[in-house]
Amino acid sequence: MICTGCSCLCDDIVVDGGVRNACRRGAGIFRFVNEGRAKPMINGEVVDFEKAMDAAGDIIGNSEKLAVYGLDTTTVEAQQKAIELAKTKEAYIDDNSSFCLGDFVELILKEELPTTTLDEVRNNAYVVFYWGTDVYHSLSRHMSRFTYYPRGGKRQRGYEEDRFLVVVDVRRSHTAKLAKKNARFIEVGDDLELIDAILKVLDGKAPEKFAKDAVRIVKEMQKADFNVIIGGLGLKYGLKGDYQQFLEFVRRVNEVTNLYFIPAGCHPNMRGFNQLLFEKTGHVNRYSFRDEEAGEKFAFPKLLEDGEIDAALIVGTDPVNSLPFDIAKKLKDIKTILIDPRQSLTAEIADVVLPSAISGLETGGTMIRIDGVKVELAPFLEKKPDDVSIISSLLEAV
Amino acid sequence: MGLKFAKFIRKIETEVVVARDSFQVEAADRGKLSEEFVKKSAVLYITEEFGKKNALREGEIVKVTRGGRSVNLRVVYNDTAPSEGAMMPNSIYANYLTDFDSFKRFRVTIEIADGNVTTPSEIIELIKSG
Repeated sequence: MICTGCSCLCDDIVVDGGVRNACRRGAGIFRFVNEGRAKPMINGEVVDFEKAMDAAGDIIGNSEKLAVYGLDTTTVEAQQKAIELAKTKEAYIDDNSSFCLGDFVELILKEELPTTTLDEVRNNAYVVFYWGTDVYHSLSRHMSRFTYYPRGGKRQRGYEEDRFLVVVDVRRSHTAKLAKKNARFIEVGDDLELIDAILKVLDGKAPEKFAKDAVRIVKEMQKADFNVIIGGLGLKYGLKGDYQQFLEFVRRVNEVTNLYFIPAGCHPNMRGFNQLLFEKTGHVNRYSFRDEEAGEKFAFPKLLEDGEIDAALIVGTDPVNSLPFDIAKKLKDIKTILIDPRQSLTAEIADVVLPSAISGLETGGTMIRIDGVKVELAPFLEKKPDDVSIISSLLEAV
Repeated sequence: MGLKFAKFIRKIETEVVVARDSFQVEAADRGKLSEEFVKKSAVLYITEEFGKKNALREGEIVKVTRGGRSVNLRVVYNDTAPSEGAMMPNSIYANYLTDFDSFKRFRVTIEIADGNVTTPSEIIELIKSG
């Protein structure tokens, strides 16, 4: 079984009365598969599914400025249909990556940031950075399956001798607490200061801050020909939009050894959406089919903030829970259709709720792991309708 | 019953970091209006040292305010919280206080409050009422 709890897409889950091998998050998805499920609703009233579908069709049909948003927890096949729908309606389309790790994925897809797969990391990586991410909580099996603890390929002696872990964070997270043997925890206030310190060491200069850490890290990286940064939201927001400084840092390190980057994205199929949209438009998110271009002004939160849309089709995400309140409250100014397996907080305010099957557990399809590896899902239950059939029906209706 | 003099004088200004918590994410699968989700989300994590220094006891309800908006959260000691500051799980509570200019780190004031923690429904009602 594949677990679709996060972007690791663990493929060794066994469900046999209990749930084996899964992390806390993954096990929860299986154990609570029947809890908190959404019901078809119109304006908070439970209705027949068909009636809710008709209402959703009407909203989309009548919308002149539609946004399609979310899609990071559904399959590539459903994302494909959603992109088709957005194109047909000349709508905007965006996912959570526009305020998550989409910038890094775009740099990877444009080949401006060297990347690798998690399997290559398991077999080859020596220095493993976790930068601005507490994977102990967000990607709980990342360290044991792919990076620090496992033995593999050139790294047969595992973390005891064959890995060097660097955790960079603003606090001593649970991941940072694991940085004991062959490891460094670096507490930063400003991530750019650490980048600057490492660049100074590469220039043969003594940095004012992080001198000891920066020297050690460069020395350790030079011991191997394969090192990797797993970068999370802490790094994204720590860079304050200065990706050039980060790219320069990676480029300079790559003059003396090999350093790769993999985003620490949480959503199981964010990479799938980014990659699919990139193949079709040359952009990973924030795209307007009306304008045939991408940009910050087409990010879903910005469209809401600026009052640029009259309706939204939200798929498998919960903006009431995840967007800043000033933006989330604008959802009440537009018509909203929510497709989601669970009764989320957004379901509480949506005009129409369409319950769907849980991707990977109740319906099959494809997802793309955060490192770009394609994964075929193997559902253990069957439930209809799924996201593909719902979005296809809406597409037919318009 | 002890007099709560400190209630009238304690108002701490500090930084909050927003973080993932696998226990809270697990609870989300049981429903974001569930008691379990609220218990894991309506919390302000601080280290015991920070708590003692600022007279914030574990289990106390505090009013956390930023930019004129407040939520009531329960204080929980946690040794992974920032040494000088606090931590909140990523949820409707953190996002009620934040904006994209300081999405995952922002400054707040903390003061002792009466009553219970804020519920997600209270924030949703604010959205519904415009």
